[in-house]
Amino acid sequence: MAKELIMTGCRAAAEGAKAAEVEVICSFPIRPYTAIMMELAKMVADGELNAEFIHGEGEHAQLSVVLGAAASGARAYTGSSGVGVTYAMEIYSPMAGGRYPAQMAIADRTLDPPGDFGSEHTDAMCTRDQGWLLGWADSPQEVYDNTLINYRVGEDHRVMLPQMVCQEGYFVSHIPDKVILGDQSQVKKFLPPYRPIGPLSTTKPVSHGPQIRPDQGAPMDAMRAAVFLDVPKVIEEATADFNRIFGRNYDPFVDQYKLADAEIAFFVMGAHANTCRKAVDRLRKQGVKAGMARLRWVRPWPTHQLANALGHVKAIGVVETSTSYGGAMRGGNLIHELRASLYDLDQRPLVTSFMAGLGGETIWPADFDYMAKVLTEMVKEKKTKRYVYWIGM
Amino acid sequence: MAKVHEITVWARGVIMDKEGRDVINIFAEAAKMEGKHVQAFDNYEDLPDRVLVTVRKYVRLSDEEIEHKYVYGNDQPEVVVVIEATIVKGIDVLLGMKKGGTLIINTNRSIDSMLKFIPNANLLATIATVDADGITGVRTIDFSGSEGGVDTSGIGKGIAAPIVGAMAKVTGMIKKENLAKVVSDVSGMERGYKEVKIKKLG
Repeated sequence: MAKELIMTGCRAAAEGAKAAEVEVICSFPIRPYTAIMMELAKMVADGELNAEFIHGEGEHAQLSVVLGAAASGARAYTGSSGVGVTYAMEIYSPMAGGRYPAQMAIADRTLDPPGDFGSEHTDAMCTRDQGWLLGWADSPQEVYDNTLINYRVGEDHRVMLPQMVCQEGYFVSHIPDKVILGDQSQVKKFLPPYRPIGPLSTTKPVSHGPQIRPDQGAPMDAMRAAVFLDVPKVIEEATADFNRIFGRNYDPFVDQYKLADAEIAFFVMGAHANTCRKAVDRLRKQGVKAGMARLRWVRPWPTHQLANALGHVKAIGVVETSTSYGGAMRGGNLIHELRASLYDLDQRPLVTSFMAGLGGETIWPADFDYMAKVLTEMVKEKKTKRYVYWIGM
Repeated sequence: MAKVHEITVWARGVIMDKEGRDVINIFAEAAKMEGKHVQAFDNYEDLPDRVLVTVRKYVRLSDEEIEHKYVYGNDQPEVVVVIEATIVKGIDVLLGMKKGGTLIINTNRSIDSMLKFIPNANLLATIATVDADGITGVRTIDFSGSEGGVDTSGIGKGIAAPIVGAMAKVTGMIKKENLAKVVSDVSGMERGYKEVKIKKLG
């Protein structure tokens, strides 16, 4: 029987990994994701989960261990936060290029300096061009769900890619909320066992990751890029199956809230969406036609889905929770790709960005009111006056 | 939108981190028994693993589902509880409070002597003190259960017990009988309820 419990995002991630019956887990402590590993360690110790639990000597080792585990045919799970995510940087590309569909849970955290516990998308966003699947959840429930959806998509033979299942540190990782855990029969129906392609084996020796010549580089990169053309279809199938089997209602790529007749829209990622939805309701009561689009996948980036969802809106405010110092728009990352996604439309919306929630700052309901004011002025004046507004300073 | 009652608890890292967490968990548990929607969470960004740093814990109670449950902090606390009295010397614990709020301090000093350290006491309708350390003996339970570890020591064994008793009396938000079902040290809680000193302000 599916059951509803109250739990944090960390616990929900561990429950997702347990439901997926992961076989190899590699841990190393760093806040705030640590609680995921503490929960899993307890599950293994209590005999609820039959997995090899290895404590790595650092994040680089963690990723190396799960790479090896996935290469030998095990469903593998690891995770990190903040500078732990960047410490493992070397392994991300080999893991995606080698097509090892292990999963990494991220409870995000700011990078240094100077050392801050707060949530920021900056850590995992650094890895976005390494060939992994990547996306943020907006609640503990979605953390659990995304854990299963990501294994299903990543292990599909049309995909075979590692996945980062991200949640915001503290906002999601440490705030308890209702989570419906699936029944194991539902999980089995949704997630087939991991079938590796040409795994490392003592009885049938194979080589993985041999050196290549420069002239083989471009074809290999083209293949890695081409895989991502197939991923959206697999995500759509997996999301439809998940919705049907578990009784959910996810849009595969863009969570749309009151967008149909919206004149201004917030473009957000993660749990700030929960505050944003309420802000949209409040603004609507005041007669402002506001809406919200929440991105569920950064990789693959849903270019056309965003153009369809947001093309009719007059002004869009990208709520950025990561930084791109010196980038084209002088603020965060998301605005670059959102603007690119809208570029081919005949009537392009105005797009600006709001740097908010950095360093783990809460984005307060009133902050959204301010953003709405800026967007409304943009609509009135029919121009983007500034590319970036810094919120909460 | 139903009114959400926000309660912020101030404690100190490590030495009374668990006590602070016990206060919010007990209060939320008891309120849940009365059919309230509740939320109780630590502020992790306060770095609770550092000895003596000020740490905040939050409770929210509401008759309906709490809309801003992912807002990570109480920006308009209606009740503020200070578990270690010297915190008031350096920090504006009433920040964000609207006029008519409540402040409860764990101390054996008089209310008037504490008021000297509250420059914005005009926000308060009620101030109260409870000598939790005097009631239970200086008994703070230290347990780092904050990162998914399992706390089997029970909740409300130390100074949290008299403090939640005092909170029930002063705020009237929860019933003492329900607290008794949650706290380990019921007599400590009862004494906090009975012995809390309350002063109504203008």
